[in-house]
Amino acid sequence: MISSTRAFLFIGVCFCLLKPLYPKTEFPYPGDRPNGITLHAFVGGDIQVTPEKKIRRGTLIIRDGKIEAVGKNLKIPDGCREWNCTNQTIYAGFIDPYLLSGSENPKFLELNHDEHIHATADLSFHGIPSTGQDPGEKGPGFEVSGVHPQRKLMDGLQTEERKWGKLRKFGFTSAHLAPSEGIFRGTGPFVLLSDQEPNELILKNEVSQIIAFDPVGKKSSPPVYPVSLMGVLSVIRQTILETKYTNERARFESKNPVNLRLMPHTGVRALSRSLGERKSIPIWIEPGSCLMNAKAMEIAQEFELNNPVIIATGDEWRNPKISLSPHHDYILPMIFPTIPDLPNPEDWEQISLDQLRAWDHAPSMARLLNEMTRTISFTTSETEPGEFHKNLLQSIARGLPENSALASLTTNPAQICGVDKICGTLEASKLANFFIVSGETYFTENPRIESTWIQGRPFFHYPDQGVTDSNSTEKRNEQTSKLAQHPSRLNKPVLRPTSVLFSGFNLWSCEEESILLNHDILIENGKISKIGLNLKTKLPKGCKVILGKGRHLTPGIIDCHSHAMILGRVNESTLPSTAMVRIADVVNSESINIERQLAGGVTICNLLHGSSNPIGGQNAVIKLRLGESPNKLIFKKAPQGIKFALGENVKQANWGDKYTTRFPQSRMGVKMFFQNRFGAALFYEKKLKNAAEQGLPFRRNLELDAILEIIRGKRFIHCHSYRQDEILVFLRTMEGFGVRVGSLQHVLEGYKVADEISRHGAGASTFSDWWAYKFEVYDAIPYAGAIMHERGCVVSFNSDSPDHARRLNLEAAKAVKYGGLSEMEALKFITLNPAKQLGIDPWVGSLKVGKDADIAIWSGNPLDYRSRCVQTWVDGILFHEIEASAERDKKRADERLSLVTKAQQSLKKEISIEPSEKAKSKFFRYSLESACDLYPHSCRSNENHAQCLHQ
Amino acid sequence: MGETTTLYRAKKIQVTPSQFFQPGEILIQNGKIRAIGNSIKTPKGCKIIEWKNSEIYPGLISPGSSLGLAEINALRPTRDLSEVGTHTPAIEAWVAVNPDSELIPVARANGITHSLIIPMGGMISGTSGLLQLHGWGIEEMVIKKRVALHLWWPGHGLSIPQPSHKSKTKPKSIADQDKERIKRITEINEYFDQAIAYQKLKQSGDQSFVQIPSWEAMIPVVEGKVPIMIHADESRQIKAAVQWAQKREYQIILSGARDSWKHADWLAENKIPVIFRHIFSAPPHRSSPHDYYFKAPGILARAGVSLSIGLPLGGWATANQRNLPYHAAHGVAHGFSREKALASITIEPAKALGMEKEMGTLQVGKHATFLCASGDILDLRTRVEKIVIQGIEVSVESRHTRLNQRYKDRPRR
Repeated sequence: MISSTRAFLFIGVCFCLLKPLYPKTEFPYPGDRPNGITLHAFVGGDIQVTPEKKIRRGTLIIRDGKIEAVGKNLKIPDGCREWNCTNQTIYAGFIDPYLLSGSENPKFLELNHDEHIHATADLSFHGIPSTGQDPGEKGPGFEVSGVHPQRKLMDGLQTEERKWGKLRKFGFTSAHLAPSEGIFRGTGPFVLLSDQEPNELILKNEVSQIIAFDPVGKKSSPPVYPVSLMGVLSVIRQTILETKYTNERARFESKNPVNLRLMPHTGVRALSRSLGERKSIPIWIEPGSCLMNAKAMEIAQEFELNNPVIIATGDEWRNPKISLSPHHDYILPMIFPTIPDLPNPEDWEQISLDQLRAWDHAPSMARLLNEMTRTISFTTSETEPGEFHKNLLQSIARGLPENSALASLTTNPAQICGVDKICGTLEASKLANFFIVSGETYFTENPRIESTWIQGRPFFHYPDQGVTDSNSTEKRNEQTSKLAQHPSRLNKPVLRPTSVLFSGFNLWSCEEESILLNHDILIENGKISKIGLNLKTKLPKGCKVILGKGRHLTPGIIDCHSHAMILGRVNESTLPSTAMVRIADVVNSESINIERQLAGGVTICNLLHGSSNPIGGQNAVIKLRLGESPNKLIFKKAPQGIKFALGENVKQANWGDKYTTRFPQSRMGVKMFFQNRFGAALFYEKKLKNAAEQGLPFRRNLELDAILEIIRGKRFIHCHSYRQDEILVFLRTMEGFGVRVGSLQHVLEGYKVADEISRHGAGASTFSDWWAYKFEVYDAIPYAGAIMHERGCVVSFNSDSPDHARRLNLEAAKAVKYGGLSEMEALKFITLNPAKQLGIDPWVGSLKVGKDADIAIWSGNPLDYRSRCVQTWVDGILFHEIEASAERDKKRADERLSLVTKAQQSLKKEISIEPSEKAKSKFFRYSLESACDLYPHSCRSNENHAQCLHQ
Repeated sequence: MGETTTLYRAKKIQVTPSQFFQPGEILIQNGKIRAIGNSIKTPKGCKIIEWKNSEIYPGLISPGSSLGLAEINALRPTRDLSEVGTHTPAIEAWVAVNPDSELIPVARANGITHSLIIPMGGMISGTSGLLQLHGWGIEEMVIKKRVALHLWWPGHGLSIPQPSHKSKTKPKSIADQDKERIKRITEINEYFDQAIAYQKLKQSGDQSFVQIPSWEAMIPVVEGKVPIMIHADESRQIKAAVQWAQKREYQIILSGARDSWKHADWLAENKIPVIFRHIFSAPPHRSSPHDYYFKAPGILARAGVSLSIGLPLGGWATANQRNLPYHAAHGVAHGFSREKALASITIEPAKALGMEKEMGTLQVGKHATFLCASGDILDLRTRVEKIVIQGIEVSVESRHTRLNQRYKDRPRR
């Protein structure tokens, strides 16, 4: 892997060296001011040749823009212009490896939650050849918004003297100009930060293909695909697949005579250079959030992308273990959130631990990344150079070694940009890019930079004598410390015994028998191994014993309809079929809802796409293993599933007057839409078989792949539905394709067609008593669960809300109240029945020997309002224990208080540099991982779900 | 109202939150309670009703909803809960109640006999009325008009938004935002001062006086005849609102009151009645415990605050009014005594709305408004079997029971 990267670097460097390195104004035209001579010697100063090597009172000789020699006591060539550098230090010019460019006000990607859900019309289905208008990019190329790998920033390059001049004053001499728009953004050049003609500046035409996880579709009006994070990830997959397919087909056609050859379009051609064997242009990824770093690495592995450089957000403290990797190079922005000066003591109440942690971790991020990644480089993007410098010093004060800081500004960026043969150090034959600072070091509060030299040309800075007193150039060694903790300190199991005996509990087995009073249950290696009376006599060695004392023990609660741990939008609300998007891509392992729901006895959630489209995205069934990574939360044995939806939401009935042209707009069209997509999938299957038989390259389509899996019985449909007519029509339509529906979700009029649902064999996952929030639920009744149960349906109650998920046991109690069900049957509505609906009942959902030890313990009858969930176990691991959880809450409260004190004290200190607006507002921005907890989504309302739960 | 005398016998009668008779008997006449006890001497000709396996509780009082004003919240034609304008004190919520709303019998079927109907929209949204969930038309159903004036306290939050390159204006600094929130309180004062000036001018009989409906509606408020229900959630809002009211010597009821538990002792000391509507709200910060608000009612009640429990206000909660007892019940596992939980949906809201002489408990002389349930009214498994409102037995049927019956009886297919 590394060797191929090196090979590429070498090619890149050769390419550079072919260019004339010396300005063409060698012999000035009459009237032009001639440049100075190009032979210089810098004598008597300290020379920081590399981050590790410093020469005391050395000599640096440059000729024609390149370094000729560096060392101690060098012979100075005749005719040299000599510069006395006594009491000065010379550093290699700094390199910014990710200077955002290409738009008026380029910004880092900040993934965040928006309050509103939008959708749009007039779209073809992504991935289906030649349908309708081009929904995305104009002109040739990929037909999806933001996918323009062919764009080259180099083509429109202009100097940005206002910005670059400021950077030079802080020692920057070159940069990679990174494109800032789109998903596949294209490439940018590596340039000198000089004021010459653009042609003179480019050292390398294309550094890398930038992929950003940017839901670009939401910037359009009306919004277009993709607006969600999972949509972006699907776009990335489909685009890479398309490119690979085109190349395969081109290869195939070159070997087999064909009449009309496939002409790969410009997008494919551009992206091909980053895929396949050769990979002449590496891929860099800007994931936009901590958890998405891990996803970027996964995608890279999935498509063999050679460990791309990752652009960090500075939020990696949330989960360093999965967001940082020793196999990747990282680029770190230096935007530190600034604590505001709040007028009243009460105002501090509004400041959360999360905000304070982000503030306190910021200066420590450089050190953390430096320790945990292959290399780290800094970028000045979106910071003022002065602010960048201040933050750099803060990072050093938090323990980033100075030589690492230097490497992050010189050798590391040079290496990742593939210019390490010509930039990054002051070794002979490299470009004469450097700067000269007064005194012994650059790392002072107010470094006095005398001059910056780019390719042997000087820029003098004339530092203001008044401001710079002698003290400020003195080095400050004051170390600061971090108070904020990583979330992982508290997000972890309480206990992990190999075996546990629960002795003397009232067991709600949810199997044939009724409540087993005063029974024992033995857990070994995460599974239920014995149930009976008096199991105490033969216990495994070291078995932990927990005494029931009249308490109740139930299977862990299974929530068959949840959106509580999903990142970056629950709905890809643009296309009517989004079968290609995957909730598994955007599971929020950092969500606070995990522990809140564990505290209510929940052990499994069915995370579903929203209900905006007839065919929504693929679901993810997760176990609430607090503290584990998104991938480890996923319940691997659970059959795959997909969200479908009917009725008002999919026909955009409550979306406003703008949304009247997407098909379908009526229940008539909803039925036809399913027939269309299933028909398309069958046609696709035929082509697939045909291609396989004839050995032809096949164009994969992720949407139809998923629908085909449904037809083949490998993917369960979970269909949001309300009215009796649409329920029947949907069941019959699916029967027409030989498909049995896994579960009908909400299914509020299901009680009217319970016999038909039962005969079809679909599960019914409903609410206990919600109704009348929109017209199609005017006939919803709380007796529905009981009626459907009586008529043979497998019925569950779900939450569809992070609030209800905290108290599903009490929701189940309503089945006793309204339907007169037995208490055990009612409890099955939230345990065994949802397990059946999800196809996971062989492993979970009841207390049965051999099943997973997913267990909730209650202080009293779980259907009684006076009871509390005292313990929750997943796979035999204790994740919630009432006292331990309270202790954890207290630790967080204490941490918050101490951080408030620290923040208040820091405000009293003098602030040398006015923080930028960006830094001030950053304090009030929520990271993706936390924003998604603040705006809970519910299928009950699709117009403004935030309002739904907050009003 | 019922002319005859009726005696109800039940397994248990909850007279007040702290007092019950088991078994119990309650005698009613002309819609009022005449006697109550373990065993009452039965008058001649008295009708006797046996509810021997059931428990009787006072009718439950919802301290705020849009019942009758919102039918299906997603449908605009069915919403009458909010009006345009920032200061509309002359708006009267009860005039727009649809007596035949399907939501009313559904709420009633779980023992909700009264709800305060609150107007929304703007800072001063108007006055509320107390709706009895039974009667022929709104004139029978509205049993108290102008219960309170509704003041929605302005927000105190501070934030710096992302600088936008579309709008050239810089985000407002924290200091400027602080100035603005002080200004907003000054403006509230000014509005009430203008109302007082209007009232004085009117009294003076000066010829310059012109009758203005908005100011007319403010007169009983500034004269202290109508209390002000202040809707405030955050600590900062609550403190500012209570201090404002104390300074002006207004009688207030604090509604919403999300953070009120943090100031429980202070609110108790100052005798501020609180309607807490946030038991099921999401904890404010990610770091806040899951039971952050579950504990609040217990803390408030133990401090001695006069505490009612309500649902959140607005259209979405209207259809769920029947769950009022469970909003109160949820605090019980978290330190709220069952007695206080019962009080918070019966006598406490009656007091807060100035109706404690008529309702809220089953003491002699009060309205004969009660429910009969299969067990503890706070228990989610309990069924409400009968409702009596001012002596009249009212149907517990609803759209839900009708549809249930119809489809339960559907022949098997």
